[in-house]
Amino acid sequence: MRKQILVVIMIACVSTGALAQTNPENADKFSVWLPLQLLPTLTLYNDTHTSNFGFEWEVTPLLYSFGINRYVSPWYTFIVEPTARFTGSVELSVAGQIYTSKLGSSYFGSYARIMGFIPLSERGEHLTLNLGVGAHSVAGTTRVFKIAGISTLFGMLHLNLKHADNPTAWIGSLEFRVF
Amino acid sequence: MTRRLLPLASLGLALLLAGCSTWAARMFTRSMSRINEPIAPAPSMITQPLQPSADLAVAWVGHATALIQMYDKLVMTDPLFTGTVGIVVKRYIAPGIDPAILPKLDATLISHTHFDHFSYGSIEQLPRNGILAIPLGALRYTPEFGFRAVYELSPWESIEDSGLTITAVPVQHFSGRYGFDGAWMRDHGFTGYVVQYKDLTVFFAGDTGYHPEYFKEIGRRFTIDLAIIPIGPGGSWEVGSRIHVHPRGALMIFQDVRADYMLPVHHKTLFYGFEQDPAQSIITLRALAAEMGIADRIVDLDVGEQQVIIPSSRPPVTP
Repeated sequence: MRKQILVVIMIACVSTGALAQTNPENADKFSVWLPLQLLPTLTLYNDTHTSNFGFEWEVTPLLYSFGINRYVSPWYTFIVEPTARFTGSVELSVAGQIYTSKLGSSYFGSYARIMGFIPLSERGEHLTLNLGVGAHSVAGTTRVFKIAGISTLFGMLHLNLKHADNPTAWIGSLEFRVF
Repeated sequence: MTRRLLPLASLGLALLLAGCSTWAARMFTRSMSRINEPIAPAPSMITQPLQPSADLAVAWVGHATALIQMYDKLVMTDPLFTGTVGIVVKRYIAPGIDPAILPKLDATLISHTHFDHFSYGSIEQLPRNGILAIPLGALRYTPEFGFRAVYELSPWESIEDSGLTITAVPVQHFSGRYGFDGAWMRDHGFTGYVVQYKDLTVFFAGDTGYHPEYFKEIGRRFTIDLAIIPIGPGGSWEVGSRIHVHPRGALMIFQDVRADYMLPVHHKTLFYGFEQDPAQSIITLRALAAEMGIADRIVDLDVGEQQVIIPSSRPPVTP
């Protein structure tokens, strides 16, 4: 799964960049999108055996916005403007992760997830409720996590908790997301 | 691996911070210092939005929010009713009308996408059975509010709806909403409007700096009864900056558009973080207008005040 996720992220960057060249506004968006995608999400992984700190890099191949106005397309790929997400949306996102339990001892993870964003305050610009499910592959083991959290600061700061049973595992993540 | 990624993460963060101007940072930090202070009540409250004795009336709700009555039509500019803007920038004075008393709004005009002019939480409080006019590029920032129609207008583009003619007119400002989006909203996403209904014409400048051609051209194309023009932030005796007029620049716009009357707005309401006295803009404007001999053409309203500009020419309705 890890390789597939990395391939998706690479294809995403290349294809988004290629599509962005179709007009100057998209090219400008891409020039902002790409460096911001490099900003990692901070993640804390905890299960019965170990606690690990990690970084993750996420892209959104597909998002459907049910909160954006009826005059624009509700479908977004990769470059997802904040308004489309926080006003109410469902998205498919994938991420690559690096975890470490001590310096020099790192391992990879990845996930694919479906998330819903429900606006709670100021059309979601101040606060949204996040709910979803995701398949996480960490240290060679793939498990299904339920996800709940909130987003604030114009949809750019996400605090999510992910939980899996048998055996119990928790992932807490503080995500900085623009697109 | 982690060590290799740190420089990349730092680069990304630096790029993000570079997107935020020092002006915004100053506004943020100084606003945070008074986040717990209470908001002063409006000195007056508008109780009768539709004046039966007026053909043209205007009320100042605060900041760039004006309620315009043109005969039986009601138009609102840049509605702002929330206690804070962009989460942390706090208002000095509460809005001068309870939006719940508005019987209708035929048109709501949004000049640009900045938080203090396009406030989602404020629009939610308004009647939305009319139309929403927004500048080119703002549609992607517009949630589905349920307006009867939304018009995204380019400069000099007009629409007609229910007898109102609304024309977007060029002004000089900047747009974007979150800092980083200024990269592709440099030259669009901001506008002024001219609203025409029957024999009345009102100009709303939105948020603008002074431009030597735009406003003269507006004055050539329209015969304007009332101009609603920002005078802040900033109360100096200078013309203003590229993106904001100060009182002198506002009066230059007033003269360029050749309007009969001017309502000064965009002052006294928000804590921008660099004013010593939030009333300085209007004090300077009064002095300049008196010096120029045009004080009687300034509709000098406080927050929550309303004035009939042209009394009703219709015979009074008898029960």
